[in-house]
Amino acid sequence: MAIECSYYLEPVDTIDLPQRFLEAFAAILSHSNYAMVLDTACRVSTRCGRCSTSCPVFETSGEDRDVPCHRTELLLKVYRRYFTPFGNLAARFGKTFEIDEAYINTMAEEFYRCTACRRCTLECPMGIEHGLITHLARWALAEVGIIPKALVVATREQLEGNTRNTSAIPKAALLDTCEFLEEDCADEVGLKIEFPVDREGTEYVFFPAVSDYLLEPDTLIGNAAVMSATGGSWTIGTSAYDGINYGLFYSDRMLDRIVSMEADEVRRLGAKKILIGECGHASRSAKFFVRTFCGADEAPEVVNFMEYTHKAWKEGRLELRPDVITERTTYHDPCNIARSGWIIDQPREILRHICTDYVDMTPKGRENYCCGGGGGTVSIDEIREFRTLVGGAKKAEQIRRTGAEIVVAPCANCKKQLREVCEDNGLETVRIVGLHDLLIKAIVAPPEMLIEIDVAAADAASGV
Amino acid sequence: MDGLIEFARGPIFRISITVCVLGLGYRILTLAGQIAAAWYRAGDRRLPLGDIAATTASWLVPRRLWSKRPFYSSASVLFHLGIVVVPLFLAGHVALLAGFLPRWWPVLPEVVADNVTAISLVALLGLIVGRVGLASSRALTRVGDVVVLVLLFCLLLFGWWAANPALSPFAARTMLFLHVLLGDLVLVLIPTTKIAHCALVPFTRLVFQLGWHFPAETGRHVAQALNKEGEPV
Repeated sequence: MAIECSYYLEPVDTIDLPQRFLEAFAAILSHSNYAMVLDTACRVSTRCGRCSTSCPVFETSGEDRDVPCHRTELLLKVYRRYFTPFGNLAARFGKTFEIDEAYINTMAEEFYRCTACRRCTLECPMGIEHGLITHLARWALAEVGIIPKALVVATREQLEGNTRNTSAIPKAALLDTCEFLEEDCADEVGLKIEFPVDREGTEYVFFPAVSDYLLEPDTLIGNAAVMSATGGSWTIGTSAYDGINYGLFYSDRMLDRIVSMEADEVRRLGAKKILIGECGHASRSAKFFVRTFCGADEAPEVVNFMEYTHKAWKEGRLELRPDVITERTTYHDPCNIARSGWIIDQPREILRHICTDYVDMTPKGRENYCCGGGGGTVSIDEIREFRTLVGGAKKAEQIRRTGAEIVVAPCANCKKQLREVCEDNGLETVRIVGLHDLLIKAIVAPPEMLIEIDVAAADAASGV
Repeated sequence: MDGLIEFARGPIFRISITVCVLGLGYRILTLAGQIAAAWYRAGDRRLPLGDIAATTASWLVPRRLWSKRPFYSSASVLFHLGIVVVPLFLAGHVALLAGFLPRWWPVLPEVVADNVTAISLVALLGLIVGRVGLASSRALTRVGDVVVLVLLFCLLLFGWWAANPALSPFAARTMLFLHVLLGDLVLVLIPTTKIAHCALVPFTRLVFQLGWHFPAETGRHVAQALNKEGEPV
């Protein structure tokens, strides 16, 4: 049989697939810490199902297969059978579970129905982190070629393509875009900003989600404006300029290679720190795995752009006008930066300052609901209906309850997903923006940033 | 019958509790060894210990429990209360461990122990009915899960009947014998079944947090093991 999922796959070699899956699983267990995790899960999991009360996918679908501990059990069953003495012994004396292609197919489907938001971890009385089990299962599946095509194609371009980024933006196009953004900001906002490129010896090397260069110019303009206003020492490196890391969603091998590219670029430019743009998974993968794979204490420090901005504002290096945003505004916590409690209050403090009508969603922070496109699923266009009407239904409900006109989502993936969620759930009037998109209106620019603009010409150019 | 009871709470009990203590000790030491090895292999050894301690404590003092599935959660807490408090503080149980417990070890008044057991029984019955009766729970349940719960139910019920002969349909001494025998069995099962969570749960948050701290060479070693070095993405 062929492996068939609701998402597109590149052709999967099904010859000896179960055996190859077990070999891959064995190799991973031998060279990682996952055996400890699975051992512990097997011993303590009571499958009480409490995790289901916090899973946004299950809360909408109501399907047993979406209960996190049910999904976890899929992998534990394989582990118990093939990798524990009891499982091996039981197989000698009776009819036991045997893994086959159909079972692998089930895992392939179900582990990608999980958005890896890790909200269920908050509810498991036994402390089991189902997100980690999903992460492991996806890696084992990836080693036999089962990876959503959208993720593997992008990763291939990032690691081995000519452009070395997931959006396949050539260096020349990147430079053009940066120049265009500088001109656009000067013409439209009257601020002189700069996107320094390949500058050596700076404090930060900037890695946004590279798709921001195509889709989120306002976020990037806001980033550059903050840097210009604060005199920040930063640069974009032309050997690696993409913070996206789909390795986090399907393979520790790829995760390692991608964060290593970032660290190498920082070293090449003689810089000190990695500055990640507004992107949840890019931030988490760098923050938590650059140290893992790039030399622990020798590894460059990782800073999220919102941390930089908040710190500069608090230290008085960045002045922000209060109350410049008058529409009702709310904030979406990207799971990858909020679930661990890393970035929750910083953007809210800024938003409360610059907005006249800021409201929070309920629940929020560590307990916030996923946008529904986590775990890389946002890039899988063929499952849009599942993402927006099942995975994103709770988020749509949350947004609707706030009555907000603007949702600040400081993450490239969350922005794409939330726009689609709003389109598909009758919230078309809601605007999804980044934090720095709004900041551009609030920054009190130092005199050297100001450019006199011809207001009439600018209005005419923008069609006002 | 008295001879059987003495046998069950004499040599059999001593063997059972030895198996239990050694088994749990083995489990904890094995896990501690795994944790130490995982930490040693981790590329990044910094752990958010404060956060781990806080989340662990938040479940030991289950403040979140009633926000979701309140009936199930209440039943679970009440059941655990009985299954922890009564075995450790009932006068008859304390007497069995007289040589091992300190003199100041508190003893529950009988009436309190009786009531706590009764509440625990009702709660456990609710849990069993819920697991078997609700389609969503049944789908997650394996036979072993139900067997352990039924075993614990019988243990509590026989003990309660032994302590309240007027309410027991069977002879009190028979109930006491079965209670002691089942208690011995449960002691042996603790390290080998899900009941081991009584000793392992304090470590699980640490285990899963550490699980995210991969060895630095993990990807390269896996690629080597699978002959995928240099293979295109």
